[in-house]
Amino acid sequence: MILFFHQWQGELLKLFARRRTYIGFGAFLGLEIVLLIVFRLQGVERIFERLISRQGQAFGEYYSAITLAQMILGFSVLLLGAIYLALVAGDIVAKEGEDGHYRLLLVRPVTRLRLLFIKYLTSTCYTFVLIQFIAWTAFLLGLAIKGWGGGFFVMIPEAGILEFYQWAEGIERYAVASCFLAVSMTTVSSVAFFLSCFPIKPAAATIGALSYILVDLILRNTGFMENYDHFLLTKHMSAWGRIYTEHIPWPVIMRSFTIIAAANASLFILGTAVFESRDLKS
Amino acid sequence: MALIEVQNLTKRWRTDRLALDDVSFDVRQGEILGLLGHNGAGKSTILGITLGMVRPDGGQVIIGGHSVHDDRARALGQIGAIYEAAHFYDYLTGWQNLRVLCSLSGWWDEAEVKRVLKLVNLEKRAGHKTKTYSHGMRQRLALAQALLPRPKCLLLDEPTDGLDPEGIREFRELVLKLRAEFGMTILLNSHLLAEVEQMCDRCVILKQGKKMYEGIVPSQQKRQNVFQLQTRDMTKAREAIRTAGATMDPDTNLIELPAHLVGHELLQQLVQAGVRVDAWQPHKPTLEEFYLGLTGA
Repeated sequence: MILFFHQWQGELLKLFARRRTYIGFGAFLGLEIVLLIVFRLQGVERIFERLISRQGQAFGEYYSAITLAQMILGFSVLLLGAIYLALVAGDIVAKEGEDGHYRLLLVRPVTRLRLLFIKYLTSTCYTFVLIQFIAWTAFLLGLAIKGWGGGFFVMIPEAGILEFYQWAEGIERYAVASCFLAVSMTTVSSVAFFLSCFPIKPAAATIGALSYILVDLILRNTGFMENYDHFLLTKHMSAWGRIYTEHIPWPVIMRSFTIIAAANASLFILGTAVFESRDLKS
Repeated sequence: MALIEVQNLTKRWRTDRLALDDVSFDVRQGEILGLLGHNGAGKSTILGITLGMVRPDGGQVIIGGHSVHDDRARALGQIGAIYEAAHFYDYLTGWQNLRVLCSLSGWWDEAEVKRVLKLVNLEKRAGHKTKTYSHGMRQRLALAQALLPRPKCLLLDEPTDGLDPEGIREFRELVLKLRAEFGMTILLNSHLLAEVEQMCDRCVILKQGKKMYEGIVPSQQKRQNVFQLQTRDMTKAREAIRTAGATMDPDTNLIELPAHLVGHELLQQLVQAGVRVDAWQPHKPTLEEFYLGLTGA
């Protein structure tokens, strides 16, 4: 176990010593600020005012820091999340191959399986940290504008969710939802990780993963796959939003997240099998 | 005693090109063994298989009693290597690069790292990012990582490629020092004949994936068994040489002695047979002559 942590420490050192790693955090913070400005525009506020008032609630009460944070989180992950996570996970195996680093790494007494597991774990942790960063910086930005307190209004049309919560319950659900969102986004990094185990360019792994997720999403939204949408990963990925339903459907959520876990494990195993079969020689 | 046993390695690339054809040899403890051959002869493939980077179609490599295929961690735990060109993480310092690489061995000892950095003359630049390093410095850092943690054996794959003459000399002296001071076993893969000649005790010569020779580097053979004769009585000389059991190359006048005969004994027999000897000198074939003769290049 100590050996494993030694090895993981080395992988984390590589990840966090790279400027590119922080550019991602900076980019998301920038996007969040832009989104915050957008949500503060009069025209946009008026839309939300209408939505909230139509439900018989006070706009001033429910258009709060936590409401803004949830909207910023949702849009940020939708706009940039998949791209950035696919970029990092697509890099994690393929870039090392492209740069010839395996010639240094694999002459060490470490198995390829162990090396890939460390990389997969790092990519998963990075996904979790990045999503939590987006979630809580969005909340801080919301606090800076709206201050502490108020209600929590959440709307996810595709899941038919339109709910109102008190401040404390809102924060609680927001925290839990951000964790489930992070887990669901590991699917994007797992697809990119799997592709990056092939002898291809890192960009090809990123584009491949994004294409897969996009096609999956389009198929789900067109309705052609209505009877088969349980085969689509994005359906299960979207289960995190159900944390906001009044009575949380835990069996539905757990079923989707079990499928996500199984898909991730399968992608890791298949990726490892591909990588194990490769001859690493120029 | 063999530290590395290369047993019946066979490898065919996907393009159907035969890279290795039943190659076997040993690397004995404390020796420097040179792996020689033209480009594409299979030298790097052997090193790749030894390091578990390339899967053989047949055969195996045993390091210190552990199969690389079955017990990779124990087998590779005994060696340090420079495999092909060393590409470091440019955004990390030399020190950080060593930290990352040593973490995979589950080892870190600052005092030992400093000692090795001093040995390779990099202690002053260890805190700089490797993107600022010259090619020679990168090679020295590559040697440093191979020496951490202290291995029994070093595998060096064309380590002086791209170095200037001073760099080559410096590297050579360093490797020889490692063997002299620490009794390190070294497997050196090179296509530079002079490098092998100056550094190695024994060599293995490959041609198109086949082993052509395994033995002492010819120019370092202790027993002198080839002599060059100059005489005006060539017919008489040939007869005496044949009688003594030696052989003579008519083109070069080089005489190869059988195992039971030494040079001065044959010279005595030639004189006794009435041959007027104008010149009699020992001839040591260079590795280049030997290699070219063997590979037919």
